[in-house]
Amino acid sequence: MSTAVSTATPRRLSVDAKLRIAIGILSVIGIGIGTYLTYTHYAKLNVLCLSSGGCETVQHSRWSKLDGIPVATLGLAGYIGIFISIWIRGELGRASGFGLALVGFLFSMYLTYREAFTIHAYCQWCLGSAAIMTVLAILTTIRMLRTETVEPVAPKKKPVDRAERRRQMAARR
Amino acid sequence: MASRTKQKEEARARRLAEERARAERARRDRRIRMIGGIVVGAIIIVGALIAINSGGGNKGGIQTGTERNATVTAVDQMFAGIPQSGATLGNPKAPVTMTYYGDYECPICQEFTLQGGFPQLVSNEVRQGKVKVVYKSFCTATCNGPNPNVFPTQQVAGLAAGKQNKFWQYTELFYREQGQEDTGYVNEAYLTALARQTTGLNLTTWQSDRNDSSLTNQVSSDQHAGKTIGVTGTPTLVFQGPKGETGMSEVASYAQLQQAIKQVS
Repeated sequence: MSTAVSTATPRRLSVDAKLRIAIGILSVIGIGIGTYLTYTHYAKLNVLCLSSGGCETVQHSRWSKLDGIPVATLGLAGYIGIFISIWIRGELGRASGFGLALVGFLFSMYLTYREAFTIHAYCQWCLGSAAIMTVLAILTTIRMLRTETVEPVAPKKKPVDRAERRRQMAARR
Repeated sequence: MASRTKQKEEARARRLAEERARAERARRDRRIRMIGGIVVGAIIIVGALIAINSGGGNKGGIQTGTERNATVTAVDQMFAGIPQSGATLGNPKAPVTMTYYGDYECPICQEFTLQGGFPQLVSNEVRQGKVKVVYKSFCTATCNGPNPNVFPTQQVAGLAAGKQNKFWQYTELFYREQGQEDTGYVNEAYLTALARQTTGLNLTTWQSDRNDSSLTNQVSSDQHAGKTIGVTGTPTLVFQGPKGETGMSEVASYAQLQQAIKQVS
């Protein structure tokens, strides 16, 4: 019995750990992109871009800001939030990571739509960030749904102990 | 006795199993409610973000009534007494020239013209005859919008006002009453309404000047000139003076403009 528990627990937790590692790596890449775009915005530098002028067209469009704040800075804040969430234990960490990734994913989809149908120009950094947010949304959703089976493992010990104690008491009588 | 104890144990085990199942169900329900709440919350937040990003309720467009009167007065005051010739604002012999590559439909140009360093530059350096501003048409927002073909028409409308030395009043009015990007708001009614608001503009002459092919050619040559020097976005500002040339492509503050002017003076 005890062997069954000890073999099952690490296997399940390792999947969660793998998810956390993947989320951590992706959010660090996202932080890198967000930092670079925020820096180039405030340092008034041109963004390195593969397509001629695509990034500048997107960066100079009205959609690149949200009430004066560059969307890249908001993305950076989102990635930092997701990164922090993997270090928070329990439901709060999973739920906050899931919520942030979902908001990031939906807003990235909107911005990609603007690039394709309004601005008619693409910024590789923005598309890269949108792809990372999509994967993060999938991973945080899996983590949110999966952990349901991980949690109940520990409390199983108690009923076994109580039954044992009763049997011992009955034997004493 | 033993079987009774066994029965009791079995009943207890069943009860415990039921309790566990109930707790599991409750936990699952709570989790589903939480996920649902997060999804609904995320949709509301993103909806609000999109509303802000799309410009909310501020649609701009042609002003009327007291709002229009206030705008016209402000524009007249801004350019009163400053010499103009075509798309050039300021003393033609000013030592420094700032070439402003812009697109009338570009919201960032609007930001620079209305909230950036431009108004202060006009009030100080341009008014004092130290700097002159030359506007050149460069298609960005209009070409990315639903009706790129309107670009020459709208820019020629400004240049036609320039033939009566009212280019900058017309341009300033365009930026002040710029409509919502990508809505195709620029049409004949819009361009004529701005001309009517331009104090002192002869409307009949303006209409006939709009057919002047040299103005359309000027728009094309401005675009070509911009491409030649590597302009990719608007506003792009190029400063030329006795000490050389410098450029920037952004919503420049007054301090940044002053620094660039100092660099080439």
